[in-house]
Amino acid sequence: MATPTHEFLPLTPPVFHILLALAPEERHGYAIMQDVAQQTAGALQLGPGTLYGCLKRMLAAGLVEESGERPDPALDDERRRYYRMTPLGRSAVRAEAHRLAGAVTVAMARLAGETV
Amino acid sequence: MMPESTIGRFCRLYSVLLYAYPPDFRREFGRPMQQLFRDRCRDLARSPGRLPLLRFAIQTVGDWFGTSVRERAAAFWSAGRPLARRSSVTEWALTLVIYLFVTTTLVQAYVVPTGSMEGNLLIGDHMFVDRLAYSDPGPLGRRILPYRDLQHGDIIAFLYPEDIRQTYVKRVIGLPGDRIHLENGQVLRNGRRLAEPYTQHIATFPDPYRDKFPTAPAAFTTPRGRDMFEHHICDGEVTVPPGMIFAMGDNRENSADSRYWGFVPREYVVGKPLLIYWSYDAPTADLEEWTVNHAIDLAQHFFTRTRWNRTFLVPHSQAAQEIGGAR
Repeated sequence: MATPTHEFLPLTPPVFHILLALAPEERHGYAIMQDVAQQTAGALQLGPGTLYGCLKRMLAAGLVEESGERPDPALDDERRRYYRMTPLGRSAVRAEAHRLAGAVTVAMARLAGETV
Repeated sequence: MMPESTIGRFCRLYSVLLYAYPPDFRREFGRPMQQLFRDRCRDLARSPGRLPLLRFAIQTVGDWFGTSVRERAAAFWSAGRPLARRSSVTEWALTLVIYLFVTTTLVQAYVVPTGSMEGNLLIGDHMFVDRLAYSDPGPLGRRILPYRDLQHGDIIAFLYPEDIRQTYVKRVIGLPGDRIHLENGQVLRNGRRLAEPYTQHIATFPDPYRDKFPTAPAAFTTPRGRDMFEHHICDGEVTVPPGMIFAMGDNRENSADSRYWGFVPREYVVGKPLLIYWSYDAPTADLEEWTVNHAIDLAQHFFTRTRWNRTFLVPHSQAAQEIGGAR
């Protein structure tokens, strides 16, 4: 896909954290939700509508893709739909992380001496 | 904490809420969304206390409302063809119908106006009544919906037989065929004494009518109550006829129940108390009719008079133990 990565920036917090959840491995919906809650120390609790609404748009944009259905051995033997990050998704989340890092550097310099 | 059956009921409710989303979205993500909802319910059921549940409920309602509107809007704008546009107008109408359907058919909001169930339900408990729980879904629906007939100890909401504009909440004591009588305020069903952990006894003055039921009709016995005394009493016991229920309040000494106004017809049963969503300490009269005074009282005392510890309490049916004493 030839979509330039910067077109996606800035990523919304749910999209950013969903991509981060999928960075190490493919996950199903509930595992994504749990991981996002963990990443943000419980501050971002994705509801079913928010999560799947984001996934729908991310699938359409090619940031993630489905990687089939299978049961999660840790939960029960019900089949769950797994999602995987695409190379485009990976470069988008990288670009967003760089953008944020740049913003943080500026913030640190301007607010030097203040407790952030 | 929360039994699997309660989780099942929440999931059923959620599966209906999903109809608020556009059909394409529902087809694509409806099942995983239900899975996610159930997984989260199960997780929360394991954690102690109701606070996480309360937060989850508020989050879910917010999430549902916000995203269903958003997905509807997205479906509306992405539909380029005029034909599709017209159909998304009907889709909005459908959403409205679903909102109405949920509030009229599936659940009904109800306020406990009297203290007859005190011990378990307090005056001012606002709750949802699950209207599906005891409604016969018919031979086909029976396979789809979990349906259970009434059992002893179930709490039921029903239309007051003497005035069906009122809804009462009591507990099922006698089902068709049961023989019931009271001795010293204790229920004997089919000759067996019941140990009823859910009752509350506040002895006021001795009242043979109330505590040694059935004796003889009194001035305050209603017409239906008199009919019960006339036709369904045999050997000092009342026999519950087919299609009827003998219901009593848990606050035995302060409950106007089947002892006074007779049986509840099975078809008058509205449903099962599902969840107390708000409990507010207010006088009975204020709960029955909204007045300006009540609104002012509410504005002034909302935080102090709301019984926060009762929020999201699930009233449970509880079976009485039958103990000896068989005749």
